[in-house]
Amino acid sequence: MKQRSPLFKIFAYVFLGLFAIMNLVPIFWMIINSFKTEQEYAADPFSFPTGIELSNYVKAWDIANMDTYFINSFLITFISLIVTVFLGALAAFFLSRFEFKLRGFTYALFLLGMLVPIHATLIPIFLIMQKLSLIDTYFSLILPYTAFHLSLTVFILEGFMRGFPKDMEESGIMDGAGIFRIFWSIILPLTRPAMATVVILNFIYNWNEYLFALVLITSNSLKTLPLGLSNFVGLETANYTLQMAALTIAFIPIVVFYLLLQKQLVTGMTAGAVKG
Amino acid sequence: MHTLKRSKLAIFIGLFPALLIYLGIAIVPIGISFYYSLMDWNGIGAKEFAGFDNYVRMFNSDTFWLSVKNNIVIMITGLVGQLPLGLLMALLLNKGLKGSGFFRTVGFMPVVISSVMVSLIWGMIYNTEFGLLNNFLKFVGLESWQQNWLSDPKWSILSISIAYIWQNVGLYMVMFLAALQNIPDEVNEASELDGATGLKRTWFITLPMIRATLMVTIVYSISNSFRVFDLIQVLTGGGPAHQTEVMTIHMYSSAFVNLEYGYGSAVSIMILLFSLVVITIANRLGKEKA
Repeated sequence: MKQRSPLFKIFAYVFLGLFAIMNLVPIFWMIINSFKTEQEYAADPFSFPTGIELSNYVKAWDIANMDTYFINSFLITFISLIVTVFLGALAAFFLSRFEFKLRGFTYALFLLGMLVPIHATLIPIFLIMQKLSLIDTYFSLILPYTAFHLSLTVFILEGFMRGFPKDMEESGIMDGAGIFRIFWSIILPLTRPAMATVVILNFIYNWNEYLFALVLITSNSLKTLPLGLSNFVGLETANYTLQMAALTIAFIPIVVFYLLLQKQLVTGMTAGAVKG
Repeated sequence: MHTLKRSKLAIFIGLFPALLIYLGIAIVPIGISFYYSLMDWNGIGAKEFAGFDNYVRMFNSDTFWLSVKNNIVIMITGLVGQLPLGLLMALLLNKGLKGSGFFRTVGFMPVVISSVMVSLIWGMIYNTEFGLLNNFLKFVGLESWQQNWLSDPKWSILSISIAYIWQNVGLYMVMFLAALQNIPDEVNEASELDGATGLKRTWFITLPMIRATLMVTIVYSISNSFRVFDLIQVLTGGGPAHQTEVMTIHMYSSAFVNLEYGYGSAVSIMILLFSLVVITIANRLGKEKA
């Protein structure tokens, strides 16, 4: 890169710096105050804490049922993710590697889902789940999470598998392997890079989902993290530093996840947005 | 493939489970929504055919139009807030300055955390008595600027827009950045030889080069603004007195708070139509220009 004028550099860093401050200050403020007592906070919301007060964390973990919410979010996120990626990969395999009459139609049908706002389906889904007595179970969330993310999953995986050369399956056929064997031991391993994108996308979307959980889950013991957290804050409106501790507990794992998988997350979510 | 008969069965087996779940949960319910929207129904009693009564009621409802207006406010503030800011950041990050990686990481962070967490954080910023914003204003001696950010109808929807922009700028930033990095070096070198530098180059060379991305971000930003729910539901629940209600919230509270499933379904059909119409128009315009 060529040398930039110092004036430009100052200008650039001022804007970038302001932008970073806007993003970081609310987070730092939340984390710092979570270590204060309620009185300390009321006295001065900008001071540094005099000591590290962990009681908020103990209390948040205890009365907010954070452990339950984490376990629920974890199970629902991963079961949906595995089902979505497996069924999506299977569908993508047949859509990309076979010629059949309704191929184009089926593919277009899958893409249609990316245009549908989930809000247009919410009421029927609620009533269907009620009729099937699935309301307030893991299934009531796993089914819609799977259904609504199949479109993007199929789209990304189909595009990737389509790029393989035509004779990719030949060796499998020579060995007399069946179609599903070829899928499992030849195509799937080659699809790994696209699978990583799809897994990360499904993870983050499921982990953060709120609307379906709000409508389909009622018992406290089945709430996911976003739902449980928002309820908890709604109940503890007077307890500011306690809220901050609960939020920080939920914030840390997702930020660690982000920092570890930043590159894949950024490219994946950008691709997801463009296609969605 | 070699054994056509067997592969037909295999194709069916392979596609069936995905299609079943997808059609059953994501597509068929749209039809059911439309069917419900023609019914007068509270979920318990018998459904009564009501024709387009729910739609008539909706179009005569001030609350519905207020929610449409709020959706449009969010759409416009989203467009003029997220896109130019995201583009500016991307242009600066594309200059290969030291620390660019850090700024990108920080910029994209709000996109990764859940909207619920974004709302809860902004709820603490906006809190009248204990919030960051009012306390900061007091700290710098601007007490007269303090507001009830979320409960004063003058400010509430704008406050929500700011949180919405904060949440999404990073996404547009990286979308623009990816497009900028795809511009071949030769283009920049050639323009430099022609004496195009600085702002001139940005305006006449760089922006036309990323026009396709600009269109995509505009369409995405618009269609996204009609899907906002979590942020507002958690921050204000649509209150005070419907002042921050958008169509999705209006649908939710009609159906799941007031138990008017028929009316709620009519609103949900409007949400679908709005997003489809907007996306179609935007795509048309994009194709004509390109």
